[in-house]
Amino acid sequence: MFDSVTSLALQSALDGLSARQRVIAENIANINTPGYTAKRVQFEQALASSVASGEGRVAFTVARSLEPTQLNGSNVNLDTETLSNIDTVLRYQFATQAVGGEASSLRTAMRTS
Amino acid sequence: MTFDAIGIAGTGLTVHRKWLDAVADNLSNVSTVTSTDDAAFRARYVTVAEGGGDTPGAFVAGAAWGSEEGRLTYEPDHPLADQDGYVRYPDIDMSEQMGSLILAQRGYQANAAVVDRAKTAYEAALQIGK
Repeated sequence: MFDSVTSLALQSALDGLSARQRVIAENIANINTPGYTAKRVQFEQALASSVASGEGRVAFTVARSLEPTQLNGSNVNLDTETLSNIDTVLRYQFATQAVGGEASSLRTAMRTS
Repeated sequence: MTFDAIGIAGTGLTVHRKWLDAVADNLSNVSTVTSTDDAAFRARYVTVAEGGGDTPGAFVAGAAWGSEEGRLTYEPDHPLADQDGYVRYPDIDMSEQMGSLILAQRGYQANAAVVDRAKTAYEAALQIGK
């Protein structure tokens, strides 16, 4: 049950989203650090193809943004980071609800008979 | 699963608070006069570095200092004036400091907002299985 494609995919999504949350915190902490390049977490594409092939588990990757730097020498864009942060929080809540749904269907299955 | 976004935003808060402190110190000393025999008040600039490995986030790496030369001003009536009537003022650019003040304040607010949003996500995680 807990190693079904759905569960594994949800776990991978939660891992990726919490890593993204962490990286956004790092980026905003370094918004005024000269020479800092923003970090990006990627996992969605890999997760989609992993689910399609019936596997579900996938690891996230962290890459550096190649956007040009601003006058303060950092390439962190506060608008992008803020939007991405809100987006990540909402997706995270969505994924936790789905995990809760998985658990409640398991409880239902245990109660039957 | 790592839950350290709040701690990382905390390092950002610290960096910007120290920056605010430095700017406040510089601004409050903008009219600090010294005699021409002494060094002028030196403006303090916070230097920041990216953390890494076990300590992610941003950290104050040290401080850079403005000139001790300052600028000489002719004020013959000043008690600290030398024989030629000059005193030393610190070489602090008021508008530059005010610009820094706003940048530091906004940076602080941005990091405080991250703490708030991270909290929402963690509260969702606490609801798993309920």
